[in-house]
Amino acid sequence: MINEYKDILFKVIHLRSIIGYNSLVFALKKTPVIGNLIPDKLYSTTFLKVIYWIFHVIVEVFKLFIGKIFGLGMIYLAAFLLSDQYIEHEMVQGVSRSAMYGNLGLFIFLLYAFCGILIRVPYFNCTTEKEYLVFMLRMDAKKLNETLIWYDLAKLFIGYIMAGIFAVITGAPFWLWLGIPVLALAVKFLGIGLQILSFRFKSRLHKSLKISAVAYLIRLALVLLAGPFFIVFVANGYFIPMPQMVIITVLTVIAGIWGLTMFLKTDSNLHRRALHDNISKTEVKATSQYDNTKSFKKIKAKGTVKGDKKGFEYLNALFVKRHWTMLCMKPVIFTIIVAAVMILLSGEFIYGYYSRYGADNCWNMVITNIINFFTFRGFSDPLLPVGNDPAFEFFRYVAQSHLLALMIPLSISDNSFKNTQAMFINCDNSLMTFSFFKQREKIIKLFDIRLKQLIKINIGPVVSLGLFADLILFVTGGQSYPGEYLVTILVGFMLSILTSVTWLALYYLFQPFTTSVVAKSGAYRITSIIIYSVASILVWVPLVSYILAPVLLVFTAGYVFFLRNRVYKLAPKTWKIKS
Amino acid sequence: MEFVISHLVKNYGSKQVLKDVDFVFEEGKIYGLLGRNGSGKTTFFNCVNGDIDYNSGAFYFRENKDSEEKVILQPEDIGYMVSTPTVPEFMTGREFLKFFLEVHEDIKPDKTIDEYFDYMVVPEDDRDRLLKDYSHGTKNKMQMLLNIIASPKLMLLDEPLTSLDVIIAEEMKNVIRSQKQGKITIFSTHLLDVAVDLCDEIVLLHNGRLEPIDKNDLGDAAFKDKIINALRDADNDQ
Repeated sequence: MINEYKDILFKVIHLRSIIGYNSLVFALKKTPVIGNLIPDKLYSTTFLKVIYWIFHVIVEVFKLFIGKIFGLGMIYLAAFLLSDQYIEHEMVQGVSRSAMYGNLGLFIFLLYAFCGILIRVPYFNCTTEKEYLVFMLRMDAKKLNETLIWYDLAKLFIGYIMAGIFAVITGAPFWLWLGIPVLALAVKFLGIGLQILSFRFKSRLHKSLKISAVAYLIRLALVLLAGPFFIVFVANGYFIPMPQMVIITVLTVIAGIWGLTMFLKTDSNLHRRALHDNISKTEVKATSQYDNTKSFKKIKAKGTVKGDKKGFEYLNALFVKRHWTMLCMKPVIFTIIVAAVMILLSGEFIYGYYSRYGADNCWNMVITNIINFFTFRGFSDPLLPVGNDPAFEFFRYVAQSHLLALMIPLSISDNSFKNTQAMFINCDNSLMTFSFFKQREKIIKLFDIRLKQLIKINIGPVVSLGLFADLILFVTGGQSYPGEYLVTILVGFMLSILTSVTWLALYYLFQPFTTSVVAKSGAYRITSIIIYSVASILVWVPLVSYILAPVLLVFTAGYVFFLRNRVYKLAPKTWKIKS
Repeated sequence: MEFVISHLVKNYGSKQVLKDVDFVFEEGKIYGLLGRNGSGKTTFFNCVNGDIDYNSGAFYFRENKDSEEKVILQPEDIGYMVSTPTVPEFMTGREFLKFFLEVHEDIKPDKTIDEYFDYMVVPEDDRDRLLKDYSHGTKNKMQMLLNIIASPKLMLLDEPLTSLDVIIAEEMKNVIRSQKQGKITIFSTHLLDVAVDLCDEIVLLHNGRLEPIDKNDLGDAAFKDKIINALRDADNDQ
């Protein structure tokens, strides 16, 4: 039996090393510029494979000792420091420091074990090497899982014993040193048992054995709850008396034994099915060109285009209709959030006013100021005059002189990059094989239609952000020159046009996407980085809105004209499927 | 009309895929471009279609071999049918055809949309379904139909019959045969039987070059062996 486990373990580690090495070479070969210099021979260079193998073993040892020692060491350190505090401040009576150390150590460990990562059992995730061994080389799934589980638990036990030495040196009782590793095994077996129970339940219902995300969410919630609970618990000098701790520990061990029994009784078929339904291919995802196209395949079949739209107008209208969620949901949600924030802030202000001055005054104030806003005046109220609050002055300064900063929220709401990906994968990728699609006049016609479409999609976020800025101006004294409210929205509109035309033109000029929607072009990346860098510097440039607006208007017109011209000249050559 | 390829060279890094492609294709014929997997058939088509750049050489139309005038290929001169049919999946077959006819203002359709579907034997219940739900064969038919409507001078068909069922493959062959007049059709395949069955001329692409096979040999029993040996030799040469 031991020899069998040893053989399987050797195969797994060997395979992991090969996959790791090949993935590394593959990733290097896919790296821009450097990739071209790396020869295929690297895949078969024994010397480098041996070096990688040594590196792999070092990582295993690191994971064995450093990870475990650090994790458990922190728990012991916390128990050590807390027990000192408990004794020093006389929070407990008649308990020795060593006993307190043991008690707190056990308490924190149990908290960590059940809420943290210890109860997690990733043994049924099918990694690449498991997939090869079980589904291609027909290895017994149960034996493979058993080997890996025993190997992992052995590492855990040894690592915890090593970490326990620190505890013993610092005064922890001897039982804590040996007890924690055993308890850790029990928690692990409990996790395995629960997982198997869930698989059996799903199997009876003829459901997929996919590991549920609910378990992760529950753990996350427990971790988030455990922190504050722990702080309150120890800050008040509480501790769970030893008899109760022993009961919890014994129950955990019994549950662990139940988990072990479940594990040993489970047949190979269930292991195989569980692995099959949880193929993760994480190594492949990390290094190869991950296929992103799935997220672009949610096409709504309902409805068609009404009216007299023809040709490319018809194509674009259909495209938007069938991809509405994909293209427009993000800007719509952004608009709703901005509107909700404005409503909440206004509501809070009105409620405060109402509490202070009563319903009649509040009603008058609201009606008067709605009229004021829509007649381009500032906030006014005899009971609450606008004061010289420094915070007000700051926000007013930002809304007047730093409107370029609107680029930050606009870049969050803007969906143009994803829209160009959707255009490519669901439309252009196929139409590019037809000659008419590559004709200069037709390219620019569709470019214009799409630019207008992207601008339209961004109208919601632009208007909501502009109104937000206007609201700031309104409550801090109103317009400082006629038309300032409109100018603010106009600036946002110009910035949105700049963003949309940039993404669209970059797509036409570089067409960076592969059929897996991966942006592969180095020139595209470099140009994007340069544009991002320039934009992130410009965001900080102060410029009052009455100067910024005309400058931006001229710049936007020139920029759109320039990029459109480039697209007209170059796109017939550049806008094509990447080989 | 002739389509002339003159000393076309295409390299991928240090690998020469097309070494010196030099050939003249004549109007009204279906040319079977035969080559092993990876011999460069798709690369050749991509170069001609302008999808990838080539290192050197030229291709153009001319009236006949005595003609001096070289007519440069325009995008609308080429119809390219790729081996894995890609269609705009968000449209229905009818919507796609409507759009296609609208953007080709110069084309005066001689049939209604349904008549075009009938011509290509596209099932009625498929016509108003999204193209993403079409079978491989029906997507292929759509691609072929659009190329027929556009009526280009040069048709590049990159393994169009691969993975089609027997009935659809036969329907497609009939369509290709019926469309050969007035245009040059180059049909790539790695299946010898398909090439022999469908094509008027067979051209081997091996070792980065195009080599014609004497058409008089098409009925010869030893013909297949001859081609296989030629391809095998080429492989050994490489």
